[in-house]
Amino acid sequence: MVLVLAIGDLHIPHRAPDLPAKFKSMLVPGKIQHIICTGNLCIKEVHDYLKSLCPSLHITRGEYDEDSRYPETKTLTIGQFKLGLCHGHQVVPWGDLDSLAMLQRQLDVDILVTGHTHQFKAYKHEAGVVINPGSATGAYSSITYDVNPSFVLMDIDGLRVVVYVYELIDGEVKVDKIDFKKTSTATI
Amino acid sequence: MTTQGRRGTSSQPVIVSEEQTNAHTDTYTVCIGTLAEKADQESELMVKKRVPDWLNNSMLSSPPLIISPPSKLQSQSPPAPTVIQPPVPIPPPTLIRPEPPTKPAVTPRTEFIDPLRRSSGSDNDISSSVEDVSRQSNLLQELSRRIINMRELRRLASEGIPDGAGIRSTVWKLLLGYLPSDKLLWSSELAKKRSQYKQFKEEFLTNPSEITRKFEDSTSLQHGNNTSAGKGLLPRSDIPHGEHPLSLGETSVWNQFFQDTEIIDQIDRDVKRTHPDMHFFCGDSAASKANQDALRNILIVYAKLNPGIRYVQGMNELLAPLFYVFKNDPDEDFSENAEADTFFCFVELLSGFRDNFVQQLDDSVVGIRSTISKLSMLLKEHDEELWRHLDITTKVNPQFYAFRWITLLLTQEFNFTDSLHIWDTLLSDPQGLQKTLLRVCCAMLILVRRRLLAGDFTANLKLLQSYPSTNISHLLYVANKLRSHP
Repeated sequence: MVLVLAIGDLHIPHRAPDLPAKFKSMLVPGKIQHIICTGNLCIKEVHDYLKSLCPSLHITRGEYDEDSRYPETKTLTIGQFKLGLCHGHQVVPWGDLDSLAMLQRQLDVDILVTGHTHQFKAYKHEAGVVINPGSATGAYSSITYDVNPSFVLMDIDGLRVVVYVYELIDGEVKVDKIDFKKTSTATI
Repeated sequence: MTTQGRRGTSSQPVIVSEEQTNAHTDTYTVCIGTLAEKADQESELMVKKRVPDWLNNSMLSSPPLIISPPSKLQSQSPPAPTVIQPPVPIPPPTLIRPEPPTKPAVTPRTEFIDPLRRSSGSDNDISSSVEDVSRQSNLLQELSRRIINMRELRRLASEGIPDGAGIRSTVWKLLLGYLPSDKLLWSSELAKKRSQYKQFKEEFLTNPSEITRKFEDSTSLQHGNNTSAGKGLLPRSDIPHGEHPLSLGETSVWNQFFQDTEIIDQIDRDVKRTHPDMHFFCGDSAASKANQDALRNILIVYAKLNPGIRYVQGMNELLAPLFYVFKNDPDEDFSENAEADTFFCFVELLSGFRDNFVQQLDDSVVGIRSTISKLSMLLKEHDEELWRHLDITTKVNPQFYAFRWITLLLTQEFNFTDSLHIWDTLLSDPQGLQKTLLRVCCAMLILVRRRLLAGDFTANLKLLQSYPSTNISHLLYVANKLRSHP
């Protein structure tokens, strides 16, 4: 039972001052085992904050990140699943599912987590699953102003993943979940 | 019987023991100045009755011996040979030195052979194995009855239980009330309790993921299309009961789980540290990992079932001997289900002790402080000089040493086998666990009184906090003597 937080596109301090208070109250240290961050934090203070939630922090570089040492893509294995991480501004057209599928096949991962569009999405195709946690602060994106703050928490338990989607809609936290299983062969 | 340390004032006949039975395996070496005639006559009688001839020959050179007056509870077992040893000081682990006969003894110098120890001398071996066999046969005989006489069992057990043949495991289960005394009820009781434990485990040890999964499986239809769909947005569904991992709700399964992780971490740490010198508990083998897991499970279930007391450091030490004894039962059925059996016996054991562990009750009448002061009073009653020296002169607060003695039932003061032997006595004494424990602690103090009287605060504290190893039978014998008389 591994809890993995997927979060990103906070754009602090340029486009948003901080995480919404309701999100912050839920994100307490000690519960989450891994954090994967799509990028665009943008500053070190946010990095430190995320690190305080969980020491296992994985970040990829977004175009506005001030720390240039983050990698462009990252892959890691958690339990039975291979996860891939990429900010997504490199994949053109932005948010296009077929292109993301191409990236997923390149990285050879079961679950690809990308951001940049600031819209939550969970999409399945033959090569695997693509998850976009959206923007945790609700920062505006190059594509749209109308952004709901959201992030994703994945509960990886053996061959099964439960994805909990946390969205802040009209000031209230709404939680949904998505279930999927991995078949015992390499791809979903 | 009060024991005064004053020189030359004792005029009472010193009776060696009041309640030891003929199955007792003590060896008595007494050198006391004053002997009552009556005791002498009794001893002759005893010798004639109890000691077979071949043993009788070996002790012709000993000075007048006093053996315990025949106990009324002459059991039907064959007369156990009482080994009497010539008063040659055997290099004993005990600290009692034979005092010159002019000084009346606080406690009569008696040396016992601990049958479980076989520590000293070859002639002891023969006698101890003989004792062992007889004791074992007595116990087996008692255990083989259909309805077990608990009084008799307690009496036999208080002398010590031999190590072999799973006797200790069964006797402890009987003493702790886990097994009923009617053997026919055993199988149904055991089945009931074991399934109950299994239920507890399922209830308390599953993590929230599994719980929520079970929830969905039972309430909604499975989303069969998840695995088969080729492409498309994944459907979002509602979460059951507002349960999500970051939930802060009081009733949330996840929240409770995270709140419990603190305790579970603590339990984990303590379990890993339990008896690091024993392969049974610590080591790389699968068996020791399984044992540690069992300990962990028991402690977690107990903590969850008892929110008032949860887990307190030290409970693992109380659990370890129980589990060790039950797991090493040669009977396969018992050994496999040792975890469930240990859980219930642990509950029973702690039931008398719970108040010692609850911090809020520390200062109350039932708390640990009052227990410690009871020990102090007991010491004062039996050995005022020592009490005065400890409490007033050297100001050794009994809390410094007695706390660990009492809460951990002396598991930390002696090595593992010795503590098993002590537990035999503690569990079987009809006076009850706490009273017996206090008597044993008092005996521990009295046995080292010479060193204590000679020492200052630091020396005494050091001595009491790392209590030197002694002859356990002797210790228990002295403790027995401290039994108060109405």
